[in-house]
Amino acid sequence: MNLMNLIYAFGLLLFAFVLQTSITGINRKVIARLQRRRGPRWFQQFIDIFKALSKSSTSHGWIFDFGVVMALGGIMATAMFIPIGPLQALPGLDNIFIIAYVLAVGMLGMAMSASGSGNPWASIGVSRALTNMLAYDIPFMVVIFGLIFAYDTSSLSGFAAIQQEGGILGWNIIRFPLGGLVAMISLQGMLGKKPFDSFIAPAEIASGPMVEYGGRHLGMLFLLHEFQTFVEVSLIVHIFFGGGATVLEYVVKYALIYTFMNIVSNILPRFKIDQAVTFFYKVPLALAMIQSLLIIVTGLGVA
Amino acid sequence: MSFDLLILMMFAGAFLAYLISKSNSEAGGISTVVISLISLVLLLLGKSQVGNEFAILYMTFKVTTIGWYFSAVMILVYSMTSFFNSYWMKQMLYPNAYNFLYLFSLAGTVGLFFAADLVTLFIFWEMVVWSSTFIVPLGKSRRAAVVYYTISSIGSMATLYAIMLLHAKSGTFIISEAFAWLATDPTMATIVFFIFILAGLTKIGIFPFHIWLPLAHGSAPHTFSPVLSGGLVKMGAFIAYMSVGVLPAYQAFSGSLKIMGMPIQIYLLMVLGAISIVLGTLMAIKQDDAKKLIAYSSVANGGYILIGILMMDQLSCAGSLMHLFNHAIASAAAFLTIAVVAHRTGTTKISELGGMIHRMPVTFTVYLISIISLAGIPPMGGFVSKWLIIQGLADKGLLFMALAAFFGSIGSFLYVFRPLAAVFLGQLAPKNYELEGATLMMKIPMVILSALIIFFGVFPRYILEVIGEIQSSIGITPIQLEGNAIQAINGLLNSYHVFVIFGFGFLISLAIFMLLQKSRKVGLMDTFTSAEFIHTPELYHYSHDFYAPFERLYKNHPSVENFLVNIANKFDELGQMVNALFFSHKPSITVFWITVVTAIIYLGGARI
Repeated sequence: MNLMNLIYAFGLLLFAFVLQTSITGINRKVIARLQRRRGPRWFQQFIDIFKALSKSSTSHGWIFDFGVVMALGGIMATAMFIPIGPLQALPGLDNIFIIAYVLAVGMLGMAMSASGSGNPWASIGVSRALTNMLAYDIPFMVVIFGLIFAYDTSSLSGFAAIQQEGGILGWNIIRFPLGGLVAMISLQGMLGKKPFDSFIAPAEIASGPMVEYGGRHLGMLFLLHEFQTFVEVSLIVHIFFGGGATVLEYVVKYALIYTFMNIVSNILPRFKIDQAVTFFYKVPLALAMIQSLLIIVTGLGVA
Repeated sequence: MSFDLLILMMFAGAFLAYLISKSNSEAGGISTVVISLISLVLLLLGKSQVGNEFAILYMTFKVTTIGWYFSAVMILVYSMTSFFNSYWMKQMLYPNAYNFLYLFSLAGTVGLFFAADLVTLFIFWEMVVWSSTFIVPLGKSRRAAVVYYTISSIGSMATLYAIMLLHAKSGTFIISEAFAWLATDPTMATIVFFIFILAGLTKIGIFPFHIWLPLAHGSAPHTFSPVLSGGLVKMGAFIAYMSVGVLPAYQAFSGSLKIMGMPIQIYLLMVLGAISIVLGTLMAIKQDDAKKLIAYSSVANGGYILIGILMMDQLSCAGSLMHLFNHAIASAAAFLTIAVVAHRTGTTKISELGGMIHRMPVTFTVYLISIISLAGIPPMGGFVSKWLIIQGLADKGLLFMALAAFFGSIGSFLYVFRPLAAVFLGQLAPKNYELEGATLMMKIPMVILSALIIFFGVFPRYILEVIGEIQSSIGITPIQLEGNAIQAINGLLNSYHVFVIFGFGFLISLAIFMLLQKSRKVGLMDTFTSAEFIHTPELYHYSHDFYAPFERLYKNHPSVENFLVNIANKFDELGQMVNALFFSHKPSITVFWITVVTAIIYLGGARI
């Protein structure tokens, strides 16, 4: 690894930002059409982020600032590990567990900053967000575990390469439909979309962790949210939808999956936090265990 | 210095500390620092002595890499914690006894790790158990010491029985010969394996022997909890390692029934490890006492260590041996920060604290670093070891163990965050406005431990090289390293690169933050309050029942404690009945016995 890798990674990071922010903007329009509104312009999300970054803000002490910087730094580092189609700035670092846990640095930073504000709404939101994480991550990890056993690789590019050999029928979502379903449900939890969005519940706990932020802090959290979404959707594209042989293929898959999740989110109500836990441990976890046992014991679906 | 002199010096040091404490207890506290630090330096310099054999009286010793590694972990934890000793002398009932036992138990562990025969092993084991038993009640509760001793003696007696059985069958006490003999006899190997490893299970705190950890860790003196959790618990890992690595378990069990590719004997113990992970995590989430919380997290981490050691393979075993070091330093550091808080505020209850970061920023930073490692998040050491264990499990396809490992791993985010949010962050109560932070003497060990946590997280190879030697010594493929990268069969981890990228991301983020408009600093009470007027900071702090919705889901869980208490009550009732029937002065009982005897004579008199 040398300086060129870092510059390359930074370039991909910018690309990821433009990609995800545009898709968020387009999705605001899609949702608006679902609700029979006209919706904002597609680049409204950029305007919102830069406007927030340019405004004045208040700070509740050094940990409040440090947490935001650590959170955005951690998530941007994670985003740099992600290959975009065939483009990969940091080969050898796209191990799925590394990505899953570096992502946690960002989350921890944000949780710390939110609690550091001294506002109990923020702490309640964080407590819900962590409980949510305990619910959605475990079925997802169990499915990934089965796949690692099947293919003896744990890198995103490795998964993508194996699937690309078999065309559409080689995609893991076709080979392991149960696991794919679980991963999609978990993705909904990771993205914090309905029905798993009780931790930001604006009317109930005043947006939870986000309650005290404004100005540059809020702008940085918007950025963080875009990168986090990019990482999470990319995980699914690489592991279950064959990644992308070209950048265009990757972007199309990415946009379709994100839009699909967003539409699903907008027609569902919200789970209470304990309902979300019970749901994840009853249905997706059971499916994930069945899928992984099928892989480990019978080898069903493994090429 | 050769290690026989080192062990003797440590025992002499214990007596010296006792004599110094007699005249001045705080000087005695300082003497524990000096003696344990000297021992640490001598041990680290003596790495080249691996392979030497020596004897003290009739006790024989052999310097092995694994013994050296465990001793290094143990002395490191002891020496770092000893910096705190002198501050607690006033609160101790018997300060001189504390200092003596502190060093005596340390010397005992080092002797244990180098023991070459089973009798020596047992003698030193008992030394440690007894000396630590007398330290625990110097804290809050005597009951904790009773439970600790009872559970420990289950292990001790089992070990003693296994040793005698092994000697009767194989005719030798020498560890390597006696264990090698077992490879030929699978039935005897199974029996000895289970009895011998029992001592390890009790010490690590594996379900159902976990009950002593929260009690003893929670109520031991604040300066001894780090040692219990970071150090003494690892003795159990050593016994577990001997039962699987030195005792050729996989060779002996090659003919047994296999479950998911594992011999049933090993798999059963792995299940216990998995239960410990889940149970430790769930219990830690609901604790209100910060020390008990970390104690339950030790139960969970003990589960990881046990599972990894039982695998005895290239990845998981290396991960496990590394994890015990990572957990030792991280949990010692976390306990030390709680000790600082307890020293200044007099409580370890999470719900009574808050906002400590504003009074003790260094302590907060140390706690933050230690929990990042405990939760297994990069770039700290805990991540590397958990990653190795999970990659090893994925290689073998041990799904149920992996399920527990994932649960423990994500669950640890929940429980380590709770003290962070409720003790260190949030509102600072007005009574604590003038609170002082850690003293310089307290900061030294905390900063050293944090530096080690980060260093071995970024450069894990310095530990993994030693672990590779250990693996080669018992004939398994050593962990494969290429520079800073760990090359597993099913994955690659270069933690140095991860660290660099993380640093790069952080710098970009910092640049964005610094370039933008400066923010206005406001107080903690200047927050969004839903238009309520709130003037009491303590009430505006979320710390009670932090995970209430989640805790509700398992509030009616079954508990081993209740089961054991019921058994104890039944036993007590039985005793009372015997007492009432045979040792009573009541006339009614006398009349009862006369009636019974007369009836027997009357009915069966002819035959008597």
